[in-house]
Amino acid sequence: MAEIYPSLAQCAIVAAGLKILLFPAYKSTDFEVHRNWLAITHSLPLWEWYYEKTSEWTLDYPPFFAYFEWIMSQVANLVDPAMLRVFNLEYDSWETVYFQRFTVIITELLLVHALQMFVDSSRGASKRAAQAAAISILLSPGLLIIDHIHFQYNGCMYGILIGSMVLARNRSTLLLSGLTFAALLCMKHIYLYLAPAYFVFLLRAYCLSPKSIFRIQFLNCLKLGGGIAAIFGTAFGPFALKGQIPQIMSRLFPFSRGLCHAYWAPNVWAMYSFVDRVLIVLAPRIGLPVKADALQSVTRGLVGNTAFAVLPDITPRICFALTLIFQTIPLVKLFIQPTWDTFVGAVTLCGYASFLFGWHVHEKAILLVIIPFSLIALKDRRHLSAFRPLAVAGHVSLFPLLFTPAEFPIKTVYTIFWLVLFLMAFDHLAPASSRARFFLFDRFSTLYITVSIPLIVYCSLVHGIVFGKSYEFLPLMFTSSYSAIGVVGSWVGFMVVYFTS
Amino acid sequence: MAAPSPSPHKPRRKAKRVGNGASSITSTEPGPLVRTPSFPLAAFLWPARGSASEWELLPLILMVVGLFRWAAGLWSYSGFEKPPMFGDYEAQRHWMEITTQLPVSQWYFHDLQWWGLDYPPLTAYHSWLCGKIGSLIDPSWFALYTSRGSHDPTLKIFMRATVLVSEYLIYIPAVVVFVRRFSRLSSVATWTSSVALVAILMQPATILIDHVHFQYNTVMLGFVTASMSSMLADRYLWSAIFFVAALGFKQMALYYAFSVFAYLLGSCLFPRINISRLLGIAAITAASFAILLLPLVAGTLYDVKSGIDSRPDLDGPHPPLPLFQDLAAYLDTNAFYYPLVEQMVQMVHRVFPFARGLFEDKVANFWCALNVVVKLKKYPSELLQRGALLATLASIIPPNLILLFRPRKHLLPLAFATTAWGFFLFSYQVHEKSVLLPLMPMTLLLAGSQGLAKSTRAWVGFANILGCWTMFPLLQRVDLRVPYAVLTLLWAYLLGLPPTSLSAYLREGPPVWKEWLTFFIHGFFYLAMGLWHVLEAFLKPPPEKPDLWVVINVGIGAAGFSLCYLWCLGSLILESELLLPPRTKKAKTQ
Repeated sequence: MAEIYPSLAQCAIVAAGLKILLFPAYKSTDFEVHRNWLAITHSLPLWEWYYEKTSEWTLDYPPFFAYFEWIMSQVANLVDPAMLRVFNLEYDSWETVYFQRFTVIITELLLVHALQMFVDSSRGASKRAAQAAAISILLSPGLLIIDHIHFQYNGCMYGILIGSMVLARNRSTLLLSGLTFAALLCMKHIYLYLAPAYFVFLLRAYCLSPKSIFRIQFLNCLKLGGGIAAIFGTAFGPFALKGQIPQIMSRLFPFSRGLCHAYWAPNVWAMYSFVDRVLIVLAPRIGLPVKADALQSVTRGLVGNTAFAVLPDITPRICFALTLIFQTIPLVKLFIQPTWDTFVGAVTLCGYASFLFGWHVHEKAILLVIIPFSLIALKDRRHLSAFRPLAVAGHVSLFPLLFTPAEFPIKTVYTIFWLVLFLMAFDHLAPASSRARFFLFDRFSTLYITVSIPLIVYCSLVHGIVFGKSYEFLPLMFTSSYSAIGVVGSWVGFMVVYFTS
Repeated sequence: MAAPSPSPHKPRRKAKRVGNGASSITSTEPGPLVRTPSFPLAAFLWPARGSASEWELLPLILMVVGLFRWAAGLWSYSGFEKPPMFGDYEAQRHWMEITTQLPVSQWYFHDLQWWGLDYPPLTAYHSWLCGKIGSLIDPSWFALYTSRGSHDPTLKIFMRATVLVSEYLIYIPAVVVFVRRFSRLSSVATWTSSVALVAILMQPATILIDHVHFQYNTVMLGFVTASMSSMLADRYLWSAIFFVAALGFKQMALYYAFSVFAYLLGSCLFPRINISRLLGIAAITAASFAILLLPLVAGTLYDVKSGIDSRPDLDGPHPPLPLFQDLAAYLDTNAFYYPLVEQMVQMVHRVFPFARGLFEDKVANFWCALNVVVKLKKYPSELLQRGALLATLASIIPPNLILLFRPRKHLLPLAFATTAWGFFLFSYQVHEKSVLLPLMPMTLLLAGSQGLAKSTRAWVGFANILGCWTMFPLLQRVDLRVPYAVLTLLWAYLLGLPPTSLSAYLREGPPVWKEWLTFFIHGFFYLAMGLWHVLEAFLKPPPEKPDLWVVINVGIGAAGFSLCYLWCLGSLILESELLLPPRTKKAKTQ
């Protein structure tokens, strides 16, 4: 089959041009976080990495990421040694900025490679669709906003995730897929949210016989178990010898944080807070009690700890239970029908459940849903119609991450460009489904996408002109409630598609 | 299921079939049956070949080129934190300050030492409008005196936005319309013309100078493009109006004036004499100039009436006129019209600085290159001015004679480019940024017939990359190496040009000596440019010759630009079919 144009490499080159031009753009505290980690890993012995707390941005990623930082710090030392001093807080010489921004672009090559693997693994007519999906991930506004402006290394991490998911497509590389995912867990533990899908899939497809679930393939179990143990041993072993595991765990899982993150991630709790906010006004009329202490903080919604005035408070235990329940439902189907498409669907639904019901979810976590979903969004029109509101909502919900005027045109124009281009292209490429589409759902998603335009205009322009600096939480609340509707809507839609296809 | 049930719904849109989508990009290749894009930019638009309509593609193109412009604008600008005078950014900001804060009659007189206004009135009106809008956001940006050298980051965003908005209101629509008309004229397919449009809009030189270094050249270039585009549509009067607007924005548009004149006159004379058209053009030109000056005149008269002096800093009798001093003998310095005369003379004096030298900085034109060999300073400036005038005339007369006697639409970009190259190489008082003027019409050639085929692409690309390279000393003074490298290399990559690819030169089949010649000439220049960058980056010039690298840059640039001039002139002669005997004219394909 002839080559499909444009190729991933061509897209990566042009995108890299734009990303280099974005070097002087706004960078968040995450930039300082990663500089600090470079400094910690470079200048301190291994035993002090997880104890060092000169900066408030302590190391709170698993050891493989720390090793990754250590490797980069070796190069950083040649560029500007001053960035590697732990006490050099907020240091951002142009060499540091260039270096750190450049590492994001370079490490993203892993993503390009993984996406190429994904395209190569697709056969026949779906290859064009796979190429389109791969380019949409590569050019994702989410990655541009989070990685290249706001600053993080998601491109690299998601590259590993996609690589591992593509490896799962072929029976002969199932083991490698599992081990890659284990290594990914040792880099960034947020992927634990997706682990149940991997666990069930590998259990059914690799550890049990394809013919009968009662025939256990012991050799495979041994290989997988041994491999995973070796990987975790490499990551955590040195620290375990020194008895530092409890300290690492307290860094990785800080349960002291609040239900909602600084901004509101567009999940169920954002809608819950929104309803609570509305009830504050309505409660006296319908005779519900209002908790006085919760009313005190005017800035609620901006600070981490949300106290609800009317509705019952939410504990981590409730979040955990809800997440687990909604993860388990799709996993049942995966266990019965362990195909690759179901696996990707299950990963996506695990991402959805954790994003929608998780404790202290950051809006950046939406990529956990969008990126796996992109791999199967073009399977047919029903998948696509569930994907569409997610694509709009997920990306719009990232807008509050960038609030500086210089980056406003970039985030909005780039996102609109991406949405117009890919929703149009996907529309051409997605084959018709063998089943009827749900009539109302398509209308919902069209209406939903249309509403985003006045919303963006209001949040970015009208609000500032009408209210100035006051009621700053309003645009945030509207954005996240709007996005939450989209994410929840697409979740419900995808659940239906998943269980009926 | 027994039989495949009919799909419950059809794809929304049937793919439209547009005829030979890729004619000039692929048909020149005697390649395999499967067509492949011959350079990356064509690959990017590849999926849009059959299915997407122009109206789906255009918004996407405009968004992408806008993103690159805005992202490039995040970098520093000319004069950033470079006291005492700062740079072009401060000049433009200062003009917004004086036009909004001072009475009209003082605009051309106010503190000339600090970036006095030296552009024609339309720039002043544009500055006034931008200044008014900006003052609504933050009045301190344009406060008189206190705002000088302001580096407020929000002001920077506002200024960048004014450049972008001005460009999207003038240059971009003009280019879009021109590309449509020109490619239809040359029977180029819609998809191919979209590729050309992206190539033209991603031209690195204009982005670097306007959106990074800071200026409003695209406004003037846009008016000139609109003027050319009106010529393509036989709208001669509009063409005259747009050109007056270009001249009124930046006197630099004079580079094109001969070609505009030659074409408009030629179209009144050939194939038959059309007096009414000629009179119409003359009248509308005069009227446009009158309208252009009207606000300045009215403002001056109003100020005189309200007793506002154009030079409040001076007491006593009127100082002599800066130019045309003999005029004063015939005029009554106390008459009501005298301030008007003074105002106009001052404007002309500010706009055309005859008193300055032959060349200002190191520019890659003929004189500056010659200066390396022969020290021109020792000759009287009178002689140099005359020499410059003669050389310029000699270089621009041939293309304009062709255009005058053969006023054909498809010759316009070539004739404009040749004339502008002539001016750039030989005229007086050239700035390195002036290279944008010949580059604009030359880049528009990409939208013409065979515009994206190898030979045109190679030459247009060569001129653009060389043009950016000669502006490197200007850019690196304000630490703009990164955007320079990114935008130039990206454009070269998109169009498949060196240093990223040799595909514009190599082809299968028997070698043609002309192609080899182009390959070797261009190859030499690309190598020289690359080597120069290495030397400049790693070697300090010898202490007795601190300007060595710049001088070498100027020499290579001037030589390369001369080749571009010759290529444009040669192509113009070929395209005008002057050399073909009349019988074979029909046989020549477009």
